[in-house]
Amino acid sequence: METSHGPVEPIVQIRDLTKIYRQGDIDVTALAGVSLDIAPGEFVVLMGPSGSGKSTLLHLLAGIDRATSGTVLVQGINIANLNESELAGWRNQNVGFVFQSFNLIPVLTAAENVELPLLLTALSRSERKAQVRTALELVGLGDRAHHRPDQLSGGQQQRVAIARAIATDPALLVADEPTGNLDAKSAADVLNLLQRLSREAGKTVIMVTHDPKAASYGTRSLHLEKGEVERDVRATSFTP
Amino acid sequence: MTLASFVAKNALRNRRRALLTILSVAISCALLVTLLTLQRELTTPPESEASSLRIIARNKVSLMQPLPYKQLTQIERIPGVKQVSPFTYFGGKFRDEEATGWAQFAVDPARFRQLIIEGRITDGSYEDFIRDRNSCLLGRDTLDRYQLKVGDKLKFTGTFYPVDFEVRIAAVYQGTVDDRNCFFHHKLLDELMGGWGMAGTWYLCADSPAVVNDVINRVDATFANTSAEVRTETERAFQLSFVSMFGNVKLLTGAISLVVVFTLILVSASTMSMAIRERFRELAVLKALGFQRRELAGFILAESFALSTLGGALGIGGAWAFWNQMDVLTFGHLTLQKLTKGFMPYFEVTPRIMATGAIVAAVLGIVAAIMPMITMSRTSVVEGLKTLD
Repeated sequence: METSHGPVEPIVQIRDLTKIYRQGDIDVTALAGVSLDIAPGEFVVLMGPSGSGKSTLLHLLAGIDRATSGTVLVQGINIANLNESELAGWRNQNVGFVFQSFNLIPVLTAAENVELPLLLTALSRSERKAQVRTALELVGLGDRAHHRPDQLSGGQQQRVAIARAIATDPALLVADEPTGNLDAKSAADVLNLLQRLSREAGKTVIMVTHDPKAASYGTRSLHLEKGEVERDVRATSFTP
Repeated sequence: MTLASFVAKNALRNRRRALLTILSVAISCALLVTLLTLQRELTTPPESEASSLRIIARNKVSLMQPLPYKQLTQIERIPGVKQVSPFTYFGGKFRDEEATGWAQFAVDPARFRQLIIEGRITDGSYEDFIRDRNSCLLGRDTLDRYQLKVGDKLKFTGTFYPVDFEVRIAAVYQGTVDDRNCFFHHKLLDELMGGWGMAGTWYLCADSPAVVNDVINRVDATFANTSAEVRTETERAFQLSFVSMFGNVKLLTGAISLVVVFTLILVSASTMSMAIRERFRELAVLKALGFQRRELAGFILAESFALSTLGGALGIGGAWAFWNQMDVLTFGHLTLQKLTKGFMPYFEVTPRIMATGAIVAAVLGIVAAIMPMITMSRTSVVEGLKTLD
């Protein structure tokens, strides 16, 4: 891959990735030999109909599922070679997750939710607090640190989830339909935030969505169909 | 936030369920401690220094068969015997009670004095008891229970023996392991029975603990091959054999205790399974964030352990307070004597029993967490994320 600054080592390299699920007596092919590279700082949107394999691809490159065959190299590490324990540590340091239904812990405040992945690091309590404050301020919720999820709107909850995802400063942000449960205004806020993280903080964002409007925020969209990449479209710049 | 506060918040997230779980464990632990205490009180008679010297000789055929009174002079000549007194269980009914929960024994007052050395006279005088054949020595617990005083007369109706009698309270004793009994003159019983010439059992005191076994053997040998052979044993052994007449109390209380523990495990395991099942999605998110199986298992175990030990502490502490401090807590309105109508003079929740209850509560916390931990461990992140909230 080349950019205006010259060749860049891909952050994600996927080769012949296949995932076959067993449903009763039937084998279902979710991914059929997908190969692609993703550059650092790219905002990749995965699109396609239900069952096309986009979520499966997201899960595999985020290290929360195992491929049937093929390789996923993230920052040069073949995550298929990591055991469960190593993979958990790798996810904590390298991947931030944003889910459709926010998945915040209801009994914890916004700050405590953001602090959760930091509990696994060697940071001191004060360092964790500082990092949590930074993450919440970055998503515009510095004043909501002590609110519980049920005291926040859907858009605010998703922004807390994004703060949690970036708390450990991972290189990769994966988002599975992050605007699926949000109104148009909140969705736009969240997408702008993800776009800003990609553009300004250099995070590689990989987002699954059904919404063409949401897809327009990315720099690249991959259209999957029956487990294969049907189209790979690159935008010249961030929109809108 | 710390991992401990995270566990605490999770444990209390459904406060009603947490409270009900804690209460169910607390009540079950209180029941378990009560059963274990009951078992101990019924099967392990209390011991004292004086009781280690005391020996009881009864008819070898049966406890119900009396012994000839003339054996007394032979027994007191046996080396190592410091004192001996007739000791005949009267088993009468006091006043109009259907069943009297304390015993009356016919003794020789002068001899008997050396046999209850741990008892002290708190009211009246022992000499008065010795002098007056129609008097008695009454335990403090019974005196207080019926609000009696020295000089009052007690009327008993015989159930084992076909005689009734009335005695005056000459003295009150306290400080023995059972301060409920009434002791009266054996001569009175003998007269009422028309010159009976028998005694229910012999109550002996040895010179020292070292000679107790020798005394037992000598007494048995003295009456071997006579028309009234005796079976001699320590007071403690006698009490244990007496308890065995209730049936297998140990087996019964043990079986009930096991059922309580088993039910408790089912209830707690079910509650923990519910608590974890409804958080599968959250656990999957935590896994995605980098938490490992062992850490999540630790959360589940800590939560289960915290709930069960808190319940255990409440139940065990409650049982201790109720049984050991009943009179203090109720300002004397309720005592064990009143509650059990005199059947149980003592019901002490000991540190050992409390420790057993605590161990059960702790093990319960661990066992209840096993299935949820296994299920969590087997569920992948993707499967967990697919579960509904």
